[in-house]
Amino acid sequence: MKAPRTLMLASAIALTAASGLLAQDVAREDTVIFDLDRTISDPENFNWFTAGTKREHGAHQAMWEPLFILNYTTGELDPWLATSITPNGDFSEWTMTLREGVEWSDGEAFDADDVVFTVQMVLGNEELSAREAATIRAQVASVEKIDNLTVKLTLNAPNPRFPTENFGVRIFGSFLIMPEHVWSAAENPATFAFYPPIGTGPYTYTSGATNRMIWDRNDDYWGARTGFQDLPAPQRLIWLETGGEESRAQLLATNQIDAAQNVSIGTFEAVQAQNPAVIAWHDGYPYAWPDPCARQMEINTTVAPWDDPAMRKAVAAIIDRSQIVNVAYEGTTVASETMFVQYGSMSPYIDAVKAAGYGLPARADVDAAQAAIEAAGYTMGSDGLYEKDGTDLSVNIHVNSASTEYTRTIDVIVEQLNRAGIAARAVPVENGVFWGEVLPFGGYEMSYSWLSCGSVNEPWTSMTRYTNASVVPVGERSPGFNNTARWDTDGAAAYTAIVDQMAGMASDDPALPGMVAEAYQHLDAEMPFVPLVQAAKLLPFNTTYWTGWPTADNAYNHPAFWWGHTHQIIHALEKAE
Amino acid sequence: MADTSDLTARQIRRMKRFDNPWRNPKLMWGASLLLGIIALGLLGRLFWNLDLVFTGSAPLKLPPVGFENLRRQEGVWDHPLGTDGSGRDMLSLLIIGAPNSLMVGVLASLIGMSVGIFLGFSAGFLKGRVDDVIRVLSDVMITIPPLLILVVFQAAYGDVSLTMMAILIACFVWQSPTRLIRAQVLSMRESGYVQMARLSGASTLHIMFREMLPNLVPYLFGSFIANVTTSIVTAVGLEVLGLGPQRVPTLGRAIYEAINSGALIQNLWWWWGIPTILLAVMFIGLLLINLGLDEVSNPRLRKL
Repeated sequence: MKAPRTLMLASAIALTAASGLLAQDVAREDTVIFDLDRTISDPENFNWFTAGTKREHGAHQAMWEPLFILNYTTGELDPWLATSITPNGDFSEWTMTLREGVEWSDGEAFDADDVVFTVQMVLGNEELSAREAATIRAQVASVEKIDNLTVKLTLNAPNPRFPTENFGVRIFGSFLIMPEHVWSAAENPATFAFYPPIGTGPYTYTSGATNRMIWDRNDDYWGARTGFQDLPAPQRLIWLETGGEESRAQLLATNQIDAAQNVSIGTFEAVQAQNPAVIAWHDGYPYAWPDPCARQMEINTTVAPWDDPAMRKAVAAIIDRSQIVNVAYEGTTVASETMFVQYGSMSPYIDAVKAAGYGLPARADVDAAQAAIEAAGYTMGSDGLYEKDGTDLSVNIHVNSASTEYTRTIDVIVEQLNRAGIAARAVPVENGVFWGEVLPFGGYEMSYSWLSCGSVNEPWTSMTRYTNASVVPVGERSPGFNNTARWDTDGAAAYTAIVDQMAGMASDDPALPGMVAEAYQHLDAEMPFVPLVQAAKLLPFNTTYWTGWPTADNAYNHPAFWWGHTHQIIHALEKAE
Repeated sequence: MADTSDLTARQIRRMKRFDNPWRNPKLMWGASLLLGIIALGLLGRLFWNLDLVFTGSAPLKLPPVGFENLRRQEGVWDHPLGTDGSGRDMLSLLIIGAPNSLMVGVLASLIGMSVGIFLGFSAGFLKGRVDDVIRVLSDVMITIPPLLILVVFQAAYGDVSLTMMAILIACFVWQSPTRLIRAQVLSMRESGYVQMARLSGASTLHIMFREMLPNLVPYLFGSFIANVTTSIVTAVGLEVLGLGPQRVPTLGRAIYEAINSGALIQNLWWWWGIPTILLAVMFIGLLLINLGLDEVSNPRLRKL
């Protein structure tokens, strides 16, 4: 037992030494190492409001705390920096009460001034383009401090979902409050780097590089002093870029990492065979946790021939979802029936869409697709590809190369399209380029994404992402990645009218499912995006050093440790005996 | 006929081998290895269903016949060499991929050699300004690491066809033959038969390509084979980095996908192992041919 222990210690020390930080050594068993599947292009920029920066390297899991955290198990908002938020009668004004005793890590008090300052900063600066900032700008008319711990937000239009949508880490992140005493010194908040960063969380920034971030525990954490939370057990948190499934698996097998990003089921089984301490959401098959962001293929509706709805529908009919499930996911997920995530809370809306006849089949209908393509004037050439006026019918599909989950799905689709007569080609693009340049500016024909993601217990959030209000010309940035397909037809206008009407309705309104189906006819008829499969994340956790990871049996929340709710995971971790 | 009565039969056989230097065992072994790969490609196309090379056309991760994978599935004769993690049949992948890799090497080398022969002769024979320009150009180019440039190029332009890749690689394999041929031509142009040809009024092109070139054939062959090796290594290097053609099966891409999909930890050795073995066979074949050609052109290397 002694040899491997020394080895691990040595590698922990090597890690520390590599960081250029020798002042303080933290033992491996006091450190939690999280997997990062992205490169940190600018490790000294913590301005999360702008494109090209990151939060998921520990910043919003350990340093910045959210106001609330949506609990995926109970469906409730767990209060965090705020204690409550209540609407007026028609949901157009919301009054938020902040927790007493919260402090920034430099000792300044966190209070209503910080909230008011941050919201106002975002309202007044279009360049702060993060999705959460764009949402606040679209929804909030004004913000007002009532007293030191109370803030009133007045909305442009009634919105019963306002707190969950903006402050609850519903998907990935939430609107994070920034310290006024630091940010008020910034001349232009869009270019301010916020380095070194501070937050209210139990960890402070220690060092960073393009492939890792290191955070050390602040033993003076306000939450421990006020009794809000115990001081978390890990002394140090590291987010480490592992680079690929193979190295991720080897690091897990040798206990050099505690939480890993998605792996395929074969890899997971192989790792578990070597290291039984590795667990996942479910104990047995399919092991994976159903991620709320269903996968889809976005089609740029401004580019010929894909500006023709018939051609988009043909592509949709060629795609065989069950083959994607079997080949790319090895059976760990299911085909999407609609644009929505297939959680129980979404079933009234999914059922309504299916009952209206707009549900998607799992299998392909290539004959129908080919008939549609031929009706559009294409003829099958001798090489098995459709052509018109001497040019092949071809398409480039942009895909983020950060994960094999993405590229494998697109490989399957490329194959299906080629066999049906469309010369499809995958264009793998580096993560930062994909999200920073390709998607928001419409620089693609088709692309793999999950941009209808948003709804988990009501339909509006996902549907509002495709209204024509978000349409901008190719070359301009789509607000909050909404409607990057640039779907702007009469159908889109009719769709928008219905979705806008849904905006002010409470999620238990009995009219809602019918309206969803009514709006969905336009999506079905024009297909600005093609829903593919439900996302399944097989996230291995290592219990060698740390226990208390979220699992189906211990579901205090979900396991996506790159999301802002990871505070709950870190507080739940206990040293393994 | 020399008197061979006091020699053993074995020595006679060895003696006879010198009658035809091309019947060199290394050369023959190397050629048969390469021919084997070409035959695999040709015969496979006749006897095997090549549609199996596409994603999702077979069950995933099946082992070769006679082996078992981690899920205790046994290999089946439908897929004798197993399948990869995306449901592609390994055998059809080799049938298409191996000749592809060889083809890229040969094509790149052919282009590079043609350019090299032309420039080398021009430089060595014409001397002067022409020589200065060509010499400096090839000296500069030889210092540039090709993989680096190609990685940047392919990353920027994405998917390329095999032919395009061969042409790109060819841009980096003409320098050595240029230098080599230039040196040979410089010494050769002073020899008697060239002087004679010049005196009898033969044109420059005639002297270069009709009189001198045939004497350089063994050199050219050696250089050609070395270039094929370099080109294949470069091509496979790009493919293993995921920068080769995407839908065209190649050995390098198979290895790239294996690494990317956790084939090592899942013990899917056939996925990366078989392409690696085939590449090794290819390189050994090329090496043997090169050694053989050395012996053909340089009798002192031949052993009794």
